[in-house]
Amino acid sequence: MSDTLLFAPELVLLIFGLLLFLCPVFDLSYRLTWKLALVGGALALGAGLWTLNMTGEPFAPGIYRVDFFSQFIKTILALGYLLTIAISHRPQTLDRASWLEYPMFLLLATLCIIMMATATEMLTLYIAMELAAYPLYIAVALHRNPQIGGESSTKYMLQGMVASAISLYGMSFLFGVFATTYFSGISAGLPAAASQPLFWIGLLLLLAGFLFKLAVFPFHFWTPDTYQTAPHQVVTYLATVSKVAAIAILCRLVALASNGEWSADSISSVLMWMSVAAMSLGNFAALVQKDLKRLLGYSAVAHAGYILVAIQTGTLLGFSAALFYAPAYLAMSFICFLVVCEVGADNDLVTIESVAGLHRRSPLLAATLLVGLFALIGLPPTVGFIGKWFLFSAALEQNQFLLVLVAAINAVVGLYYYLLVLRQAYQAEPTTDAPISSAPGVKIAALTGAVLVLIMGTFPGRYWDMATQAASALLD
Amino acid sequence: MPLLSSILLVPVATLVLLLLLPSARSIRWVCALSGLSNCILSALLWHNYDSGIGGVQFEEIIPWVKGAGISYHVGVDGFSTVLIMLNSIVYFTGVLTMWDLRQRVKEYFAFMVLLVVGVYGVFMSLDLFFLFFFYEIAVVPMYPLILIWGSGNKDYAAMKLMVFLLAGSALLFPALLAVYHTAGLGTFDMVALAAHNFDPQFQIFCYPFIYIGFGVLAGMFPLHGWSPTGHVAAPSAVSMLHAGVLMKLGAFGILAVGMRILPAGAVYWAPTFAVLAAIGIIYGAFVAMRQTDFKFVIGFSSVSHMGIVLLGLNLATLGIAGSDALNGAVFQMFAHGIMTALFFSTVGFIYDRAHSKTIADFGGLGSQMPRAVALFIIAGLCGAGLPGLASFWAELLVFLAALKTYPIIGVCIVLGLVITAVYILRVFGLAFFGPPNPRWEGLRDQDMKGMELLPRVVLVAVLFFFGLFPQAMLGMIDGATAVLLGRF
Repeated sequence: MSDTLLFAPELVLLIFGLLLFLCPVFDLSYRLTWKLALVGGALALGAGLWTLNMTGEPFAPGIYRVDFFSQFIKTILALGYLLTIAISHRPQTLDRASWLEYPMFLLLATLCIIMMATATEMLTLYIAMELAAYPLYIAVALHRNPQIGGESSTKYMLQGMVASAISLYGMSFLFGVFATTYFSGISAGLPAAASQPLFWIGLLLLLAGFLFKLAVFPFHFWTPDTYQTAPHQVVTYLATVSKVAAIAILCRLVALASNGEWSADSISSVLMWMSVAAMSLGNFAALVQKDLKRLLGYSAVAHAGYILVAIQTGTLLGFSAALFYAPAYLAMSFICFLVVCEVGADNDLVTIESVAGLHRRSPLLAATLLVGLFALIGLPPTVGFIGKWFLFSAALEQNQFLLVLVAAINAVVGLYYYLLVLRQAYQAEPTTDAPISSAPGVKIAALTGAVLVLIMGTFPGRYWDMATQAASALLD
Repeated sequence: MPLLSSILLVPVATLVLLLLLPSARSIRWVCALSGLSNCILSALLWHNYDSGIGGVQFEEIIPWVKGAGISYHVGVDGFSTVLIMLNSIVYFTGVLTMWDLRQRVKEYFAFMVLLVVGVYGVFMSLDLFFLFFFYEIAVVPMYPLILIWGSGNKDYAAMKLMVFLLAGSALLFPALLAVYHTAGLGTFDMVALAAHNFDPQFQIFCYPFIYIGFGVLAGMFPLHGWSPTGHVAAPSAVSMLHAGVLMKLGAFGILAVGMRILPAGAVYWAPTFAVLAAIGIIYGAFVAMRQTDFKFVIGFSSVSHMGIVLLGLNLATLGIAGSDALNGAVFQMFAHGIMTALFFSTVGFIYDRAHSKTIADFGGLGSQMPRAVALFIIAGLCGAGLPGLASFWAELLVFLAALKTYPIIGVCIVLGLVITAVYILRVFGLAFFGPPNPRWEGLRDQDMKGMELLPRVVLVAVLFFFGLFPQAMLGMIDGATAVLLGRF
């Protein structure tokens, strides 16, 4: 019985996945399917909160470990799924014929991502990762206009597959060194194997699949294209849930290396340079973008860089900071994309000019965008500020003064393009005066996201403690 | 109710309340009342602060993020008390100055009050994290305030201001975190950090990041470029806050973080930064002399006057006339804050009526708008350091300290004072005296009257009060000066 309880969030999602599968079979209305998906998300979130403090290994020992880390991540992921579905009441950029399947794809992806965050064995991890990827490959390609969606969805799928193949290759290296696929076995064998280059090359290759999801240089090429041309709601999912999962798994894998006597220097320096490259490239490329979603795509690359600043330290503080930033980034990224979804509800492409005069068309959306962009810039009282404070603090603990200086200067570069968007929303003359009337669900989602960003920014104590607790569970 | 938190929470509550209020009229009244009540609370603070004992008083500590060493720790010494008073006065008079605003009133006051909250927070924070947190809060609203309600080249000015100021923050970010991790105390509490003896090598490495990072906001030469353009583009009450209190945050940051926590670094770098500050004083004055726009004149005069503050701070570390220099610097922060508030408030009034701020457009305005011009002249004479007005004492103290410490710099900046007199008298001559320009005859009926006079008269009264009774100010800051100088 207790094993089933430990599996509660997964079970809820699995049941609702099957239910959602039946919806197109019986040709139910989208409205009903959507409501069902919402209920599934809400229940999964509830189950996540309920099981938050449980620990255990529901299957064979060593394969699937439920602890505070996994449950913390599950709860955030379920929240991200719920929010994304909440703004999908009319996903007009999606092909009308696949509306009924769309919630199921996202739900199944969430289920598998959740399993990925709980797996403590390489093959389980790999299978979960592949299972999570396929629904997203399909969802990205569901654009109503095949001419727009075609190129980027191919790009996303091909690069995703290459990245996961590299991961698999890395796993074979690790298996070669340790003769086990269990993380616990790797941990135990580490002190002896640490000197072997085969080990850290294998680990770096293994990271590739997740660096792809996080959009870290040099695995970021899909990001701007896919962000620009995939259906808005699917991009929202990629920019929120997918990112949190990538952060979580990267923490888990890097923690694997920093466990024990072994020094993670070689991996750390590779990750550090990737982080510098990602944030510099993301920020400078974003400066010249005209398309809002593409701009946010490059901003995601830059943020991947900031997050790596903390992860590459391999310390408790570093993982805590990254895990604190994960829900924070989910919330801020979500509210920016919520505005994109609303403003460009019926447009295939959303340019920066699309938000012109937003404060007159919808004060709520304009304020939401303001909060979201301020958070992405890293200004108080939003969580972006204290989140960056923690990320950079972790690197300074390791005396990486220069790295933090580079990251902070990058944040100033980022300021420029975020402010240009804000300028459109608050100062430019709108092309149309038609007010945007959002559905109640969207309004609630916007308020939830914005309040979360502000509350986590001003009263971070509780969230920080949770992030630290999750990070300690990781390093156990 | 604890006094300091009340001072902070009144504007926070105002912010929440005004977001809920529908009409512009009620928003204005709520803001004015909030400004007034903060003036009263600040006066209470001033009155109850025991300068006989000195040191940090009215402390409140609430742990905020325990695991990360962050606590909400506020408290004031003599410096903070004075600067909180300054902020309250500028807040109150700033609201009254914008009484006639018609465009997007709610948003305007929301951003303005947010800025005020940030400024209060910086002046009372004793926790490094919260100091930086409030510092950024104070800077952020400048962007929308200039962008939406500004005039002229506002896109450029707003963006330039933000990029300069946040570039300063980019220097502060690693430096503040390095202070925390190097101390290894596991706390951002500034009292604990100030008591820690940092390795001199570290101090010398870290201090310039903090000095330059905060110095950008204080208009330090050669990173002052954002300041005059920002002043010119901003609406008048925003210029008041910007030059009146925001620039003081930079100087206060140098004082509270740099000099208090890294004294050896401050001593090491003082000669270099003192020379830069002196160049700023003279350069600002020279450039002000050539301007054709009222606001540019005041903008560059701010660079020059803030140079006096920075010079005073640097001289204070050198020990020869330390207490004069530091007293002068803090006095100048206050005096300059009130003076520029008066300047911008008055220029804003003239601009609203005449829709011009080009000096050459005017001529003999003194006979057309005698009251507004009289107020401008008072502010100008204060800037020129006329005895009887607050700036006189502040500038005198810094100049005396400079003459004692670095006679050459001292002589140079006294010459700078002469140039100041020249550019101010030039504006008077060109714009206010001489034959009246018939174009402005219509303004005769539109001179300041009634409520319009109130904020400006308050500011003038403060300038005269501290000009005639400098002891009221020096008595307050002397204790804090002695404590800080004990660190060197």
